[in-house]
Amino acid sequence: MSRREHSARPVNPETGDPLPVRAQPGYYPGFRTLSQKAFWDEATRNIVLSRLEIIPPIRFFSAEEAPLISAICDRLLPQDDRDELHKIPVVNFIDDRLHANRLDGYRFEGMPTDQEAYRLGLQGISKIAQHLYHNSFVDLDPLEQESVLQTLHDGHPPAGQEIWQGLPVHRFWLLLVQDVLGAYYAHPFAWDEIGFGGPAYPRGYMRLENGDPEPWEVDEHRYQWDPPPGSPSAKFTPVGGSSEHKGSPGQGGTH
Amino acid sequence: MKEPLLGAFETPTHNHMLGARQRLDVPMRRYRNAEQVDYCIVGVGSAGGVLLQRLARAGFSVVGLEAGPFWDTERDWVSDEAGSYNLYWNDLRITGGEDPLALGANNSGRGVGGGSVHWAGFTPRLHPSDFRIHSQDGVGVDWPISYEEIKPYYELLEKEIPVSGPAYFPWGDPHGYPYGPHPMGGCGDILIKGCTKLDIRVSIGGPVAILAGSHGDRPHCIYRGFCIQGCKVGAKQSTLISHVPDALEHGAEIRDHCMVSRIHLGKDGRVTGVTYFDTNGREAEQKAKAIIVCGYAIETPRLLLNSACPGHENGLANSSGTLGRYLMAQAGNVVLGRFEELVRMYKAPPAHALTEEFYETDPKRGFARGFAVQTVGPLPIAFARQMMVAKGAWGWGMRQVMMDYNHWGAIALLGEILPWEDNRVELAGEKDRNGIPVAKVTFNLHDNDKKMIEYGKNKVMEIMYAAGAEEVVQEARYAHLVGGARMGNDPRTSVVDKFGRTHDIPNLFVCDGSVMPTQGSANPGLTIQALAARTGDYLISQRSETLSRSTHSTKQPSIRYDLSPPGTWGKGVPRLT
Repeated sequence: MSRREHSARPVNPETGDPLPVRAQPGYYPGFRTLSQKAFWDEATRNIVLSRLEIIPPIRFFSAEEAPLISAICDRLLPQDDRDELHKIPVVNFIDDRLHANRLDGYRFEGMPTDQEAYRLGLQGISKIAQHLYHNSFVDLDPLEQESVLQTLHDGHPPAGQEIWQGLPVHRFWLLLVQDVLGAYYAHPFAWDEIGFGGPAYPRGYMRLENGDPEPWEVDEHRYQWDPPPGSPSAKFTPVGGSSEHKGSPGQGGTH
Repeated sequence: MKEPLLGAFETPTHNHMLGARQRLDVPMRRYRNAEQVDYCIVGVGSAGGVLLQRLARAGFSVVGLEAGPFWDTERDWVSDEAGSYNLYWNDLRITGGEDPLALGANNSGRGVGGGSVHWAGFTPRLHPSDFRIHSQDGVGVDWPISYEEIKPYYELLEKEIPVSGPAYFPWGDPHGYPYGPHPMGGCGDILIKGCTKLDIRVSIGGPVAILAGSHGDRPHCIYRGFCIQGCKVGAKQSTLISHVPDALEHGAEIRDHCMVSRIHLGKDGRVTGVTYFDTNGREAEQKAKAIIVCGYAIETPRLLLNSACPGHENGLANSSGTLGRYLMAQAGNVVLGRFEELVRMYKAPPAHALTEEFYETDPKRGFARGFAVQTVGPLPIAFARQMMVAKGAWGWGMRQVMMDYNHWGAIALLGEILPWEDNRVELAGEKDRNGIPVAKVTFNLHDNDKKMIEYGKNKVMEIMYAAGAEEVVQEARYAHLVGGARMGNDPRTSVVDKFGRTHDIPNLFVCDGSVMPTQGSANPGLTIQALAARTGDYLISQRSETLSRSTHSTKQPSIRYDLSPPGTWGKGVPRLT
């Protein structure tokens, strides 16, 4: 096992050994939202199945940028514990959004366009990698890559100031992470991982209280796991560093 | 064959569904652009949908121009977070200030039904105190109307929507609801448990614009949890399914995919029509005897500002300089709690229990006005994005917390931010695809707002802990938008009068959330629809005066109970007060 593979996988906290790669990580073994697709309406079935069947080609990111954004997404939402068949193509969905110019309905004053923000942000991340490790981001080991990204999370990138002057780092971080989350947790593989019941029209839900499963849902079966030892992203530090950052309003609809 | 007197009719081109059982099968009237219709409504959303229905029923010729699509809910809507992208106003807007607002999915609708398509459906009324907070608390501004003037419209719309909720709602002006309360979901149980521990009263199972029993051709709720993705069931009200079918049946036209870019002013100081970009991006003009702008808190000021012309250099109806100002959002901090046991908060409508125990001013708290506490139920993408900020989660930490999604519950603050002059909508330097300048929104919290948020947030966290959560985190956010074209008696400090007529132009009206001078701690949807019905009654009572003359009455007409959509009457509303 190479060093890179070893350090990227979650571990069994008792033995310290890497957990095996799975088709479906998470505490709901055997639970598949897609098993219910016959009970979904046609429009919903079409859009959910399209995420498995139609992987958008990379059209926005250049041949040089594509491996870099891919490596970044692999750390922002790591999938090292998923087997190859069940990895979620996060980068392709982000590329598709930028290519089609699907906006979120607003842009913060002082921010460039989303597309420009990505182009600049990738350059900035490369500069941080060079500054910290004298190497390109894609060639760093996973923990080093996380350390590079942690500086954006903290709002204190140690290099590329000429870029961050035109690209507020806090806003770029939230844009990047929210895009990754929007792609990953839209995928039925991710729903199976977290035990989300998924679409429910026209059948509906009936067991509403006490976390009870529907007849077709499964009970939780927890197992112990730890993130790869030393992983900076496992530490839950406030966005923007220790001081509470101003002006990071919620993105998606809740109310 | 001769054309019908008032224009051609067009039969539906496909099996157009509005909810699971309601089929739109009436032919729609088509007016010609050169035909001068009585009323042109810009934006067929919460207010526009109700107004269209009222004016059509009363016999006026009326066209609704809507920037988004005329939804077929079976074809266009899905039980899916990411797939519901098109329900929101996603065109570019610039957002700034010290506390910039997130727009788009958070608060802005697009398409027939507008924001009522993706609201969670909470329908509390404003309290009587909300109409006089300046007199009572020395903050904000008083409304030009009292609670008593809008109360009959609250009661009427609660039947038209219709609203499900408890037989006795104890806050503000106590009242009951025509449909019974909904069963509880995980977040409602958390709110009940936490509040009960702290001796706080809770209203459960409503008030929400979601059917607890079937209503005509609208089925009851199936508790699938995708309310803010558009209710495919047809159980949650939107004006698309409650008022638009009746409007079409009575001769209204809806022209979808039509983005109005400009309102035209004639030499006599009256508006004459609008220019819009149609579904093919071609410019067209619709003539009308009167125009009602129903574009909501951002697009309404944007359109009026973009319609500036000689004599109205600062925008139409802006002689006061207040157009676009006094924009408000409510504080909507989401408080998330992790429980040892499973919650599974994706089931049941996000909106199903609330408390208004902290709604009114309490001098002991050190700030004016107050807040409500309500259930929310973020689905996975929304929850992950909240955790990105609330816990600073990313990478392996995000994977870890998301694998516990089913252990988390969520309740939220809904707090009254006061109207401030510097919170506003202006025009940005950038333009949209049609070359129309986009809106720039500036938002700053003021001292009273910050104190309210701090106190309210801590109170909601206290409730979450009292419910038994082992870990509690929160994310600051905002909910809803109102203001920007506020109503008032004084033309020097407001844009429209108490019926929505602009002070400056006698046949130009505004009717939507932007006319609200203050917002209380109540979700604005019911109030917007009630104000629309009231404006409708006023316009109908004025008959030809509005359409032809400059003089007009300021007397409130009596409420019309004969203009409601079918199925409104015969529902029992408990009267326990």
